[in-house]
Amino acid sequence: MTRPVDDRRIDAALGTLAREVEPPRDLWPGIAARLEASPGPSRRSWAWQAVAALVLVAVSSLVTATLVRRSPTPVAQQPVPASASAAMPVAFGPSFALNGEYAAARAQLAAELERRVATMPPSARQKLEANLAEMRRAADEINAALARQPGDPLLQELLLSTYQQELGVLASVNQLTGTSAAEEARQENVKL
Amino acid sequence: MTAPARSALKPLASPLSVAAVVLMAVPPVAAAGTPINERGPADPSGAVEVSNVAGTVRVSGWDRNEVEVTGELGEGTERLEFVAGDKVTRVKVILPGRSRNVDDTDLIVRVPAASRLAVNTVSADIEVSGVAGAQRLQSVSADIRTQAEAEDVECKSVSGDVTIHGTGKKALVTVTTVSGDATALKVAGEVNANTVSGNMTLGLGQTARSRVRSTSGDLTIASVLAQDGRFDVESISGDVRLELHGPVDAEFDVSSFNGEIRNCFGPKAVSTSEYAPGKELRFREGQGSGRVRLKTLNGDIDLCRK
Repeated sequence: MTRPVDDRRIDAALGTLAREVEPPRDLWPGIAARLEASPGPSRRSWAWQAVAALVLVAVSSLVTATLVRRSPTPVAQQPVPASASAAMPVAFGPSFALNGEYAAARAQLAAELERRVATMPPSARQKLEANLAEMRRAADEINAALARQPGDPLLQELLLSTYQQELGVLASVNQLTGTSAAEEARQENVKL
Repeated sequence: MTAPARSALKPLASPLSVAAVVLMAVPPVAAAGTPINERGPADPSGAVEVSNVAGTVRVSGWDRNEVEVTGELGEGTERLEFVAGDKVTRVKVILPGRSRNVDDTDLIVRVPAASRLAVNTVSADIEVSGVAGAQRLQSVSADIRTQAEAEDVECKSVSGDVTIHGTGKKALVTVTTVSGDATALKVAGEVNANTVSGNMTLGLGQTARSRVRSTSGDLTIASVLAQDGRFDVESISGDVRLELHGPVDAEFDVSSFNGEIRNCFGPKAVSTSEYAPGKELRFREGQGSGRVRLKTLNGDIDLCRK
């Protein structure tokens, strides 16, 4: 098929243009400097707000767990086997790690759980461990998605609430197994 | 160094007295089916606390100002502690030391109808009816069934199922399970429900505020949304189905990263990006006084009007 004459002219004109056009100067340093100086909300500030919220939840969960705990044994000295307390990844997307206060509070809740979990009825214990693993898988999946789509607000929201839910479960189970009936069963080594 | 006390150096007492001491040190243990029959005065709006390990706890409200406990102690338990105080009545199954085999204890407890009730068990099912005061029911692995009136109800379980039947009166209802399923019907007011893998079925009356969350459990909710009401539902991989009954006046904010979004109200979900997964649906129904937020990672979302 013969191409129209106008197309051939356009092709010829395009062929005379330079293949690459260099900018008159390197623009990136200026752009980077302005981005750094930007006062508006950023992903970084959002993530730190999320971290702050989690620390708050972690500390309050820990306080609750501490109030219902009866044993004088310092929890921080307890060994923490890998089952129930296997650490949930404490990343928040590709660029942030949730550590410090959050990690400490969470580790303490997990250690407390580890101390109590052995006295739970076997079927409940298995279900609890499976569900803690389920939450870890969910956090892994969301973190992986966040690595592909950093800053996605839905993923950030779901990840935050997944971490919150894990803390809530740890605190709730500690509290449930610290009630008088459970504590009595635990102290008396009752096999349920 | 001080000499040891003379009594400590005494020769051992006679075999008979040793046997007596041993018998005293070992608490008596209930035989199978030992009947329970306790009763005491109680404040009509006081607190009743019940604690059992295995078996059942059935609590019902009555119109007398007293607490009655009947039932049977399980073999291997030590005794039933029953303390009727001015404001608090305590009912507790006591276990002997170092016991490994304890049979089920069944407790039937009657309390003044307006009592505040707290029940804690490990594997004893909890059943409550006719109690109008606030309830706090907790079990590690057993099922919980109760009726909600106008006061707060909190049910918590790891692997047991939770069932709450309301009367349509406004209350704060909180349900937390790890793997147990939860059902709440005819509950109104404010609902907070949280599970990891349990399925939740909520048939709600007019709710001002509801927050429902699961990791992998499916969430099925039918509700009447109050004026200015709030609905906040999240799931990672569980499906979410929300049916709204009656007039609907709300802003909707629905999004899923990998799941499908189906909407009976008309507007269709749109992709959030040309190159990445993710769908969202935002629209207003009526004046938009209420807020409905539904979010999932992988779960499908069905939003419908009935």
